[in-house]
Amino acid sequence: MIPRRGIAVAIALLVGALAAAGCGFGPGKDLGGVRLTVSRDYGHTSLLEREVGDVTESDTVMRVLERNAEITTRYGGGFVQSIDGLEAQERFGRSSDWFFYVDGVESPVGAADYSLRGGEWVWWDYRNWEGAMSVPAVVGSWPQPFAGSYGGHPHPVAVECLGGGAACATVRSKLRAVGVEAAAGSAADAIRVLVGPWQRVRDDPVAAQIESGPQRSGVFAEFGRARGGYAMRGLGEDGKAAAAFGPGAGLVAATRRGEAPPVWVVTGVGPRGVADAAALLDTAHLRDRYAVAVEDGREEALPLR
Amino acid sequence: MRSPFAYRPRSGPLQSASPAAAVAYLGSLATVGFLYSNPIVLAATGAALVLAGLLAGARDAVRAALWMGLTLALLIVAVNVLVVDRGATVLVRLGQLPLLSDVITAEALAAGAVIGLRAAVVLLAFAVYSACVDPDRVLRALRPLARRSALTATLVSRLVPVAAADAARLRDAARLRGPAAAPVGRAALARRLLAGSLDRAVDVAATLELRGYSLNPPRPTPVATLFPPYTSKKRCDRRGERPRARRSRYDRRFYVVGALVLIAGVAGKLLGADAFAEYPAVQLGVGPATLALATLLALSGLTPLSPRPRRTASTSLPAGWRS
Repeated sequence: MIPRRGIAVAIALLVGALAAAGCGFGPGKDLGGVRLTVSRDYGHTSLLEREVGDVTESDTVMRVLERNAEITTRYGGGFVQSIDGLEAQERFGRSSDWFFYVDGVESPVGAADYSLRGGEWVWWDYRNWEGAMSVPAVVGSWPQPFAGSYGGHPHPVAVECLGGGAACATVRSKLRAVGVEAAAGSAADAIRVLVGPWQRVRDDPVAAQIESGPQRSGVFAEFGRARGGYAMRGLGEDGKAAAAFGPGAGLVAATRRGEAPPVWVVTGVGPRGVADAAALLDTAHLRDRYAVAVEDGREEALPLR
Repeated sequence: MRSPFAYRPRSGPLQSASPAAAVAYLGSLATVGFLYSNPIVLAATGAALVLAGLLAGARDAVRAALWMGLTLALLIVAVNVLVVDRGATVLVRLGQLPLLSDVITAEALAAGAVIGLRAAVVLLAFAVYSACVDPDRVLRALRPLARRSALTATLVSRLVPVAAADAARLRDAARLRGPAAAPVGRAALARRLLAGSLDRAVDVAATLELRGYSLNPPRPTPVATLFPPYTSKKRCDRRGERPRARRSRYDRRFYVVGALVLIAGVAGKLLGADAFAEYPAVQLGVGPATLALATLLALSGLTPLSPRPRRTASTSLPAGWRS
C-alpha cells in the first residue's frame, strides 16, 4: 500500500512544478497584435490583410489563422490543407501548397508548433512549388525582419557596402526611416544587407547561392557572365528563364543558409542598377513580394508571370 | 473462474451460424469501426454490437468489453490531451514541461475521445465474436487452408486455459497453507507453472506422434482413373472430396447483413458520411448520409434476434389441458 503522505507529497510536487512552469486556465494573457496576410501565387493576388489584435500567450500561427479564416488541416492538424476553400493540390503537373513566413523568414517548424510573441508579421502564400520547394526568406514583409524581433529576440543589422557607393547610404537611410540603426561591423547573429554590383556581392558565400538557382536560394533571378561583366535574367514560377534584363538592371532579394539569419542583397549588373535597387527599400515597392527586379525605373516582382 | 469472453454454447442464431457467416457479420461492423471517425457512426456501430451481443446472450462479454473499452478510452483521452498541442480552443496552459504539450485543448480532448470510442467499438466486436463463435468450428473451417497453423492454434487455444487453471490451482494451494506460511512469490509461481507446462507439452507431443500427426496428410485416392467405367459418383464423393461444412439456416441472414453494412459503409464514405474534423476546430458532419448510415448500422444489431417459435394448431393445447 502506498503511504498517504507519499501521495500528498507527490501531488504537492506536481502542483508546484506546474505552477513553476507557468500553467493556468484559458488561453493566457494578451500579447498585443500581429499582422496577418494571406495571398496566392507568390503574393501576386492578396486574399486577406488584417491586423489581429487578440494574440495570447498560448497562440500559435495556426490558432491565429483559424480565428481569422476558414481552414482545413491535415497530418493530425499540423499542416494547412486549405484556407477559405483554396486547397493544396498536386495534379495536372502543378504542385501547389500553402507556405508561411514569419517576419519574412520561412519557418523551420509547422504552423501549429510556431508560438507567437506578438508584433510579428505572418504571411501565408499559396504557390506552385515546382520552381523552388523552399524559399527561405522573402522581402515582402518589409520592414521585417529588421524592425521586429525575428526568431524571438532583436538582431543587429549590418549593412555591408561591397562597392555600392551612394546606394549604401540610401540603404542606411531607408533602414533609419523605419527605426533601424545599422550596427558597425558584422556580428555573428546579424541580419546582413549586402549592397553592391553582383561582381562583388557574389563573393559572399550566402549571396552566391543565387547562382545555384531558386531551388537552392529561393531567389527567382540568375546572373551569368556577359562581355566581361554580368547579365541578369528573371525566372518564372517554374524556375526557367522568362526575361533578360539589360545592363541597368537591379535586384532586391533575400536568402538564407541553414538556420542562420537571413541575408538581403541589394545588387545590380552595374552601379545604376544597384542605386535603383536601393531606392526600392520601402513598403510601397516590396510589400507581398518574394523579390523585386528593377530596370530603368520599371520594377518587376519575381518570379515573373 | 471462467473468462466473460470465453465461448459458451447457446442455441441462438449467432452461435448456430457457420463461423464464416458470423465473422462476415461481426467483421463488417469492426471494419466500419476502423474506417470511420465520425462519432455518430462509431456510436451507432457500438450500439449495434451491444445489441447483437445482448441478443446472442453474451451479456457478460458485452459488460466486460464496455468496462474495458471505457477504461481504455479514458486512458487514450488522458494521453492525447497531454501530448497533443493541436487545436484552437485552449482550456489549460501547462507551461513548458518535457515531453508534454504546453496546452490542453478542447480539440485534443475530442480527438482522444473519438480514438477511444473507436477502440471500444473494435473491442466490443471482438468480445462478441469471442463469446459467440465456437473457436473449434473456426479452426475446423481453417484446417483445409492451413493445416499446421490450425493445429498450432488448436493446441494454443486448449493449453492457455489449462495453464490459467493450473495457475489458479497453485495459488489456491499456496493460500491454503495457512496465514503463518511464508508468501509465495510470483517468480516461484511462474517457475512452477513453466515446469508444469513443459511436462504437459511433452505429453501432448507424444500423443500427437502416436496419432500420426507427424505424417503427411493422406492424398485423395484417384479412384476415377483406376476404375473409369465402373466408378460410382457416390464412392468418389466419399473418398476423393472434402467433407462439406455444416450450414445453418441463419447463415444467409448474417451474410446479407454483413454485405449490406460493408457496402453502406463504403458508399457512405464516398458520399461524405464520415464528415468529421478534429483540428483546428471540431467539425461534426450530421448530414443525411451520416444519419442514414448510423440508423442502418444500429438496426443491423438486431440481426441475431431469435425468431419467435411459431405456435401451430396441431401443437397448441386446449386451455383446459395446460399443465
